[in-house]
Amino acid sequence: MGKFIKQLLVFSIFAAVLYFVLLIVWGECIPAAYTKNLNYSLGAYGHMYTRTREAAKHDKVDILFIGSSHAYRGFDTRIAAAYGYTSFNLGSSAQSPIQTKLLLDEYIDQLDPKLLIYEVYPYTFTNDGVESSLDIIANDKIDRAVLQMAFKINNIKTYNSLVYGCYRAMFKRDKNFTENKVIGLDTYIPGGFVEREITYNSPVITQEKKINWKPIHYQLDAFAKIIELVKKKGIKLILVQAPVTQAEFDKYSDNNKIDSFFSEKGTYYNFNKILQLSDSADFYNEDHLNQNGVKIFNDSLFMRLLKNK
Amino acid sequence: MFFNSIDFAIFLPVVFVLYWFVTKNNLKLQNILLLVASYFFYACWDYRFLFLLIFSTLLDYFTGLKMGASEKPRSRKCWFWLSVIINLGFLGIFKYYNFFAASFAEALSLLGIKTNFWVLQVILPVGISFYTFHGLSYVIDIYKKRIIPERNFIEYSVFVSFFPLLVAGPIERATHLLPQVKQKRFFDYAKAVDGLRQILWGLFKKIVIADNCAEYANNIFNNSSAYSGSTLVLGALFFTFQIYCDFSGYSDIALGTARLFGIDLLRNFAFPYFSRDIAEFWRRWHISLSTWFRDYLYIPLGGSKGGTWMKIRNTFIIFLVSGFWHGANWTFIVWGALNALYFLPSMLLNTNRNNLGSVAAGKLLPSLKELFNMGLTFTLTVFAWIFFRAENLQHAGAYIAKICSRSLFHMPEKAAFASTQNNVGIMALLIIFFIGVEWLGREQKYAIATFGAKWPKLLRWSFYSFLVFLMCMYMSTSGSAFIYFQF
Repeated sequence: MGKFIKQLLVFSIFAAVLYFVLLIVWGECIPAAYTKNLNYSLGAYGHMYTRTREAAKHDKVDILFIGSSHAYRGFDTRIAAAYGYTSFNLGSSAQSPIQTKLLLDEYIDQLDPKLLIYEVYPYTFTNDGVESSLDIIANDKIDRAVLQMAFKINNIKTYNSLVYGCYRAMFKRDKNFTENKVIGLDTYIPGGFVEREITYNSPVITQEKKINWKPIHYQLDAFAKIIELVKKKGIKLILVQAPVTQAEFDKYSDNNKIDSFFSEKGTYYNFNKILQLSDSADFYNEDHLNQNGVKIFNDSLFMRLLKNK
Repeated sequence: MFFNSIDFAIFLPVVFVLYWFVTKNNLKLQNILLLVASYFFYACWDYRFLFLLIFSTLLDYFTGLKMGASEKPRSRKCWFWLSVIINLGFLGIFKYYNFFAASFAEALSLLGIKTNFWVLQVILPVGISFYTFHGLSYVIDIYKKRIIPERNFIEYSVFVSFFPLLVAGPIERATHLLPQVKQKRFFDYAKAVDGLRQILWGLFKKIVIADNCAEYANNIFNNSSAYSGSTLVLGALFFTFQIYCDFSGYSDIALGTARLFGIDLLRNFAFPYFSRDIAEFWRRWHISLSTWFRDYLYIPLGGSKGGTWMKIRNTFIIFLVSGFWHGANWTFIVWGALNALYFLPSMLLNTNRNNLGSVAAGKLLPSLKELFNMGLTFTLTVFAWIFFRAENLQHAGAYIAKICSRSLFHMPEKAAFASTQNNVGIMALLIIFFIGVEWLGREQKYAIATFGAKWPKLLRWSFYSFLVFLMCMYMSTSGSAFIYFQF
C-alpha cells in the first residue's frame, strides 16, 4: 500500500510537470482554433488590453462606467464630456459580477469616481464568467485576485489559460505587443469607449423558448460585495440596463422580477422600458447599439443625471 | 454524483483510504463501509429513491431465504413469483406505465374510442433496470437451485448495491460477485495500478470522445431536417462513437474502481466495433446484459435447440426484450428488431460462432476480408443506432429518408459543426487516435491494459500523462450524464 501511495504521488508530480510543458507547447505551436480549452486571447476582446493600461494611468473621474460589452459599446465618454462629466469606461466583453468586482478592486482607487454607473445585463448574472475571465487573464495583470477568480469559476479553460498566462508573464512573452486602435469596424476611443462603424441590425423573427432568470450563486455574492464596496467608499451608484432589441429583451419570461431585484439595490434605470428605440435603425446586432442608438441612450441618461443633480 | 465529477474525485479517495487503512483486514467492517458508501453514492442522485433500492434488496433477500428454507415446490414457486412480480412491477410502473398507457390509448383511438389514461408524473429512479436485474438473477438462481441463499444481509446488500455498478452495471451474478464480497480482501498493488489505468482510459473515452461527439450528434439529430444526407451520416457516426465511448467508458471506470477495492466485476465490452459479424458484435457489446438475457430468457425459452421457427421466435423475443429494456419507446423496440434481423442469417446458417477469437489475433493489421467484414458490421450497427438515437419512429424515418436522398452526395454543411466549441478536424484526429489505441489493445481486457508495458517507465508514464493532458485540453466543459443512467 505504501508503495502504491508513493508511486501515485510521484506520478502526479511527473504528470503535473509534463502537463505544464505540453500546455506551453500547445499554446506556442498550435493555432488557437485547435486548442479547445486553452484560450489566451491577447488583444482579442473589445480592446481590453489598451483599456486596462489606460486605466492604470488615468486621472480621477466624475463617472466610472462598468459592465459588459453593453457598457464599453454603450457609454460614450465623449458624450459624457459634452455634458460636463469626466469619465472612464471599464466595461469588457461578457463581464460578469465576479470580474466587475475584480476590476473595481484594482482600479477604483486610481480612478476615484464620484459616481459609478454599473450596467447590469441579466445574462451576465446567469453566466459562468469563463469568457470574461479569459479576457482578463490575457489582457490585464495576473495577480492573487485573478487566481481567486479562477478558483471561484473553477473551469478547466480558465485554469489552462491562467497557467499559460503565468508562463507568458514570467518570460515576458507579451512585452512587444501593441494593440491597434482600430480593429475591424471597432475604434478605441481614449477613456475606454469603443465606437463601431455605423451598420444596422436586420431583425430576425424567432420564436425561442423564454428563459427564466436564474443567477449563479457566486455571481450574486460578487454583486453583493460590489454594492458593499461602493457604499464603503461613499460612491454614488446607479444601476442601468442598457437597451437591447425587443426580441432580445423578451427572451426572459420574468423581466419584472429582474427589475424589482435591481431596484431593491439602489437607483436603477431600465432603458428598455424608458426608450422607444428602433430594432433596426438604432442597433447593429441583436443586443448592441450602433452610434445612433448610443447618442439617444446617452442623451437620455445624462439628462436624467443633470435633472437629478 | 457522476464518475467524471469533482464530487466523485473526492468521494473515491476518501472511501479508498477508509477501506484500506481504517477497516483494514476486517471483512465485516469493509463490507459495512462499502454498503454505507454505496447508499451515500446513490442518495446523491436522489435520496427519495433510496427506499426503493433498500426495499428491493430486502424483498430479494427474504424471498431468497424463504425459497432456500422450503422444500415444497409450490411454496418455492410462490416466493419466486412474489419476488419477480414485485420487482418487475416496480420497473413497469416507473419505466413503462406511461408508454403502455399512451400506446393503448393510441390503439383505441384508431378504433374511434377516445380514452384519457392517467399519466404518471414520475422520475425514473436511476439504476432501477440494473439493480432489478441483479436481484432477479439472484432469485432465479436460487429457485433453479444453482446457488444457496445468502444469509448475511450486509454481504447480500453489497452484492446488489456496490457503488461502481449500482447505476449502470455491469449486471452482476451472485455466482461471480457474492463469493468475492464474502472473501477476505487484501491490497494487491498490481490490481490497484491496473484499476487506475482502466479508470484513466474510461475517463478519456467519456470526457474526450463521447462528450465531444455528443455535441455534434445532438446538433445534427436535433436539427436533422435542416441538413443534407451527408451531414446526417456524419451525425450517425458521431453518435456511434458517442454511445460506445460513453457506455464502455462508464464500464471501464466501474471495473477500475472495483479493482481498487480488490473486486473484479464482469467484463461489459470487448471492442465491439472490431466485430466481423453481428453475432460477434453481440458477444462483445454490453456483455453482462446479453449474457443475462441468454441465461434467463433465451435458454429457458428453448434457445436454439428447437426447429427453425422456434429459433427465429426466440431470437426475436430476446432482441425485442433487450430493446425494450433500454427504454419505453418504439425506437428501442425497432432497434432490437433490426438487430434480430441482422442476427438471423448467421444463426440459421449456423455461422454465428465463426468468429470467437479476436480479429487479426497476433497481427498488426487485418486481412482484406476481415476489414470488409468489420466495415460491413460497423455500417449495419451505425444504421441501427439511428433508431436508438431518434426521438421517435417518424424522426428515424425522416432521418433515413434524407440519407437515402440525393443530398447524400452534397458537401456536409459547415453549420452542423460550427455551433460547438470543438474543431471538427481535431475531433477527427482524436477519434483516429482512440481507434488506433483500441486496435492495438484489442486482445487485452481493455485497450491500454498492457499498452507500453515493455516501454521504459518514464515513457509509459509520459503516455498516461499525455492522456490526462488530452482530457484537460479537449474535454467538453458543458459536461453530460452517462447515457445508460437513463436506462
